Amino acid sequence: MSEILKCEEITKRFGGLTALNKVSFNVVKGEIFGIIGPNGSGKTTLLNVITGLLKPDGGRIMLDGTDITKLEPHKRVKLGIARMFQGMRVFPYLPVYLNVELVARAVYNNARLARAKTSWALTMSGLLPEAAELPIKLTPYKLRMLEFARILVSNPKIALLDEPFAGLESSEAESMIDLIKKFNSLGITFIIIEHRLRYLMKIANRVMVLNQGVKIAEGKPEEVVKNPQVIEVYFGGETRK
Amino acid sequence: MVFAKRSTKDLIIGKTPFFAVLAGLTLLPLLGVGGYWLDVLTKVNLFLLVTLAIDLYSGTTYYLNLGVSFTFGFAGYALALLNIYYGIPIEYSIFLAVPISVFFSLVILLPSLRIRGVYFAILSLLIPIVFIGIVTAQPFSLYLGGEGGLRYKQLFLDFARSLPPGIRLTFLQYSYYYISLVAAVIGYLIAYKIGFSEFGFMLRAVGQDEELAESVGINTLKVKVIGYLISSMYVSVAGALYASMRSPVTVDLVVPANTLVPPLTSAIVGGLGTIIGPAIANYMLLLTYESLWGLIGRWRVIVYMLLLITIVVIKPQGLVFRIYLDLKKRLRGVLLE
Amino acid sequence: MDIDIYKYILIFSIFHSSTYLMFSLGFSMLFGVAKIPNLAYGSLYIFSSYVVYSLMTYLGLEQVVAALIAVSAAGLMSLLIGEAVVRPALKMPVSIFITTLAVAYIFEEFFRIEMGLKPITLPLYPGVTYVLGVPVSNHWFLVLVASSLMFSLLVAFLKYTVLGRSIRAVAESWEESRRLGINPLKVLRVAFFVSGIYAGATGVLLTPLKALTPTAGWGPLFTAFAIVALGGVGSVSGTLIASFVYGFLEQTMTYILGGGIASISPLILIILVLVFRPQGIMGRVE
Repeated sequence: MSEILKCEEITKRFGGLTALNKVSFNVVKGEIFGIIGPNGSGKTTLLNVITGLLKPDGGRIMLDGTDITKLEPHKRVKLGIARMFQGMRVFPYLPVYLNVELVARAVYNNARLARAKTSWALTMSGLLPEAAELPIKLTPYKLRMLEFARILVSNPKIALLDEPFAGLESSEAESMIDLIKKFNSLGITFIIIEHRLRYLMKIANRVMVLNQGVKIAEGKPEEVVKNPQVIEVYFGGETRK
Repeated sequence: MVFAKRSTKDLIIGKTPFFAVLAGLTLLPLLGVGGYWLDVLTKVNLFLLVTLAIDLYSGTTYYLNLGVSFTFGFAGYALALLNIYYGIPIEYSIFLAVPISVFFSLVILLPSLRIRGVYFAILSLLIPIVFIGIVTAQPFSLYLGGEGGLRYKQLFLDFARSLPPGIRLTFLQYSYYYISLVAAVIGYLIAYKIGFSEFGFMLRAVGQDEELAESVGINTLKVKVIGYLISSMYVSVAGALYASMRSPVTVDLVVPANTLVPPLTSAIVGGLGTIIGPAIANYMLLLTYESLWGLIGRWRVIVYMLLLITIVVIKPQGLVFRIYLDLKKRLRGVLLE
Repeated sequence: MDIDIYKYILIFSIFHSSTYLMFSLGFSMLFGVAKIPNLAYGSLYIFSSYVVYSLMTYLGLEQVVAALIAVSAAGLMSLLIGEAVVRPALKMPVSIFITTLAVAYIFEEFFRIEMGLKPITLPLYPGVTYVLGVPVSNHWFLVLVASSLMFSLLVAFLKYTVLGRSIRAVAESWEESRRLGINPLKVLRVAFFVSGIYAGATGVLLTPLKALTPTAGWGPLFTAFAIVALGGVGSVSGTLIASFVYGFLEQTMTYILGGGIASISPLILIILVLVFRPQGIMGRVE
């Protein structure tokens, strides 16, 4: 087992509030790693720290043996971290193919290779017919696919998905799961944040539970959901709502 | 379709308006346009560079750089100082003034490039104000000419003096006009190339969602700095050329009302980030402004500003660009029949 | 330097700072509400001063009466500017820069044509008082009292009235305030009116101390801009602190360096501050 991503004692504070408190975890090459937790538990903050949009106040992040804690976000992309944001986030006034090609050009120095990769990623995510459209004309599912194409085109070692099933119908979510599984088998490691456990249970090899910035459990999905502490903070909270 | 090539016929039709305007501007002096209007057109040609600079940077990244008039005036002052204190002829000062002005613009505004939105606009607007304060304040005013400005021999003046008196002024006007026209045409072609290149789209990506751009691997700081560099190069060239054709150089060049507002207006009315729209608007608006002088005299500023407000309020942006696309479509329809 | 210089610096710093506070209050509030950079703010300043001058010269009104009319007129004019050129451009902040700038030029040109370039002054509040042996025109005291009053009123208005609180709510979040049942456009109108009143009052009070020309509006505008940027957007206490930093720095530099360069030293400071602390002294990180 080789670790692709190692997070050691990540701490992030906003003013007096501690959003992440010494969170440590490892992600193994080739697995699908789930992160769950109630709203405000620090999941998205954690992704922001891993991708570099936020600087941690303490701790260390290792990607495939390299320390990336102090690296700028765009350099991390080149090292193999790709990300899907919560809510659909694309460049709304650039055509679909440019949304993908700009990523390719940032990652590969060769223009021709970038173009080839772009058409490949668009084909894989079924967006070729809409390549010249503006993203504002796409359905939520197609927008997700655009974000997925953006991930594929950078040929990442690890992809971070922030609530990839939100806003999708169940059939659409199923095909998203198929895609994730497919590219997982082709060698991409995934970290998935999800609020709805239903989908995560199906694909995650391991999950970690965050609550108020603290890791409270980690393990196989079926074991974690039996953990009394998890039931209390997560499912307890859920039913009370 | 994205990957399809445009046909040659399409390409020729697409370029028709450009060549028509170019031919028109080249032939104007031969058709008898001279004197006052030639001077005006010279100025409008140079202002095209400023309009394009604003469109290339602020129009794509939405970083509203109101410090443009600083760069414009600074290039003018650099030119004058090089000539007066170092005895460098104006012809060469132009080439030296541009890099100096670009360098200073970059150094002064670089730290603020990480500030977004209204703050960046405020900061950039304060810079020309500070510059005006420095130029007009003791003891700097002694060296920088204060309110009266700096006097020097303008471009080609020595040569013109060797000509018969009757054609001296005409020679200067014509040569200035064609220099400005060449600068405008080259500037436009390069701006078009950059604006719709991969780099141009990266600038737009930064404008649409900077955080996302950084997260997908675009080095946003680098993109912003290079964009700003190109933009200030355009403004510096315009400022240096403009100053080389008139003496003295005064703080009028730095006053935002003179050298920021007209091009900024053209960029917005023309359609931010479209290059073509702002270029057309530059000629339309500035020539309209000058024509108003004959029609309504001193009320022209008020009428022009009311017109401007009306355009901005009714069609928030891109009016000219939309009309242009529409006309082009019709033109294509006519020509392809 | 002897002790007298320090006395001068201290006394006039306080008075000048209070004028800067006056300049900036209305602008600060408007800027805080919807991040509206009203570049026509300086126009309201000259507008009210010219109204006072005209009423006194052509209708022979008392200065106080003329001033009251002018201040109300400035409030209404501000409301008009808000409705006519700012509201339609709300979605494009860039356009607000353009439209309000255009309004500022319209005012400048109008007064240039109608009133000419010759500087105009208004009568001072009569009398001189000695402070620590330094003679000070009573008008300065009027300004000091008025600016303290204006500051307290604005703070009280924003803190204790429903309207003031809704202005702060809109400043916080446009969407959120709508959900709370506040009409942001109505709040905006109130903000424009109040800001106009403040600009008008500033013009009426300060013109006797300075000359009035068609371009006199730009100085207050840029000062207000700088002070608000220094103090932090949406923070009235930040505006207070920044005004005094600005005033003291300017006066001290004036006595050390003498005129000219001293007047821009606060601007240089502000640029430095903004580079290292973009949100201003009292502003919050967004």
